[in-house]
Amino acid sequence: MDPILIVGLVVALALFFDFTNGFHDTANSSATAIATGALKPRTAVIIAALMNLVGAFLSTAVAKTISVSLINEGVNLGAEMVFAGLTGAILWNLTTWLLGLPSSSSHALFGGLIGAALAYAGVAAINFPKVLEKVIFPALFAPLVAGIAAFLATRLAYLITARSQAQRKKTGIGTGRASFKIGQVFSSSLVALSHGTNDAQKTMGVITLVLVTSGLQADGNHVEWWVIISAALAIALGTYSGGWRIIKTMGSGLAEIKPPQGLSAEVATGVTILASSNLGFALSTTQVASGSVMGAGLGRKGGAVRWSKAGQVFAGWFFTLPAAGAVGALSAFLTMSSPYGLLIDAVVTIGAILAIFQVSRRNRIGHHNVLSEVEGASEVVASPRQVRAAQAKAARAAKAAKKGKK
Amino acid sequence: MIEWNNLFLVAIVAIVGSTVLVASFSLGMRWLTNARHLVPGAKKGKSKAIRAEVLNRSAAYMMFTICASALIYGIYLIVPYFHLDK
Repeated sequence: MDPILIVGLVVALALFFDFTNGFHDTANSSATAIATGALKPRTAVIIAALMNLVGAFLSTAVAKTISVSLINEGVNLGAEMVFAGLTGAILWNLTTWLLGLPSSSSHALFGGLIGAALAYAGVAAINFPKVLEKVIFPALFAPLVAGIAAFLATRLAYLITARSQAQRKKTGIGTGRASFKIGQVFSSSLVALSHGTNDAQKTMGVITLVLVTSGLQADGNHVEWWVIISAALAIALGTYSGGWRIIKTMGSGLAEIKPPQGLSAEVATGVTILASSNLGFALSTTQVASGSVMGAGLGRKGGAVRWSKAGQVFAGWFFTLPAAGAVGALSAFLTMSSPYGLLIDAVVTIGAILAIFQVSRRNRIGHHNVLSEVEGASEVVASPRQVRAAQAKAARAAKAAKKGKK
Repeated sequence: MIEWNNLFLVAIVAIVGSTVLVASFSLGMRWLTNARHLVPGAKKGKSKAIRAEVLNRSAAYMMFTICASALIYGIYLIVPYFHLDK
């Protein structure tokens, strides 16, 4: 096949991955702001999209150090291999989106590339200790740290602003807790900006890698201007289209979030991400944000985390690498199968993408109903303990009624 | 190898940083509402209430200034243009 055509296909697929990355990660910065009503759903995704667009232009440093370290040196990352890896990452991203699970897009990309490398070059291609260090361990660590930070911050926020009912009644002035929404506007914007400086870079890195290996670019020391612009636009467009399913999970599925919790969660996410990227221990934004939401959920008295949903999310993280890898490997075998394998693979992938979108139409979630669903969900939140208490009360009432009859 | 030192540092900075920041915002909110509580008394011209109101209000604004500086520092960290030497 014509190498230019192959490169064109890879670039198109990389940009589509960037798009899925954007809408998969909208929730990280805007879910808690939408859930508390700090921002209207539409406004929140517009701000997030703009921040991602700006962020993509601000930095191209990350682009040069793309995930290659997970794959051993000496393995030639050809265009076909990257193509296969990308299909794995995209299909996993879309599947988790369909299920409404926040999962790391970077891990999906790593997984896809690792799977493709396995198929092309065998087990020797993978640097397994690096995979443990860069992917698996941070996935355990990120939600824990962010969760503890958000939990303590929420506790403090409620403690500091506490005011007795009598005092509030006397003056008619509240605790000021609703005003935490103002802070949320800034904290969620900051998280979106930091996302933009990181995630669009990964796509730029992948495209640059392919341009270099196919001889269209002399070296990987710079990123072509059209790559920067198209990657920035793709992630911003993806963010704007909003992964409402994931926003719903993050905003109401994991825990019920009130303004002080929202601010605590966003601040914890922002600080943890900035600390990790500046102190040399890279963490996934998605995992940090999910941990923050859970920590904030537990921090408020009477607040609860829905552990069944949290369990699903954790399971999603566990499967991200192997699942994206499996698809990447299958896709790689397909590209190797015949001279036109790449085209066949492209057609199969597009078919799978269309199928996922078709399934998603069965229950559409968008900016028009994400909030009402959030509100609806927040009403039925009840911890098992509350449920047991309610049942016990009902039983007592029934007994008392029986006694009364006798 | 997992870099335990970096990991530990990230954990400490993340936890301390988030709690300090949220605490400052909360204190700002607390003192601002305190000031609002004192407004009726201050309007009647009670000097004690006036003094307390001003004190609470300025303390609140100081806390919000801390939050704003943290925000600016965050932007500084995010934008590599500001620290190219790294």
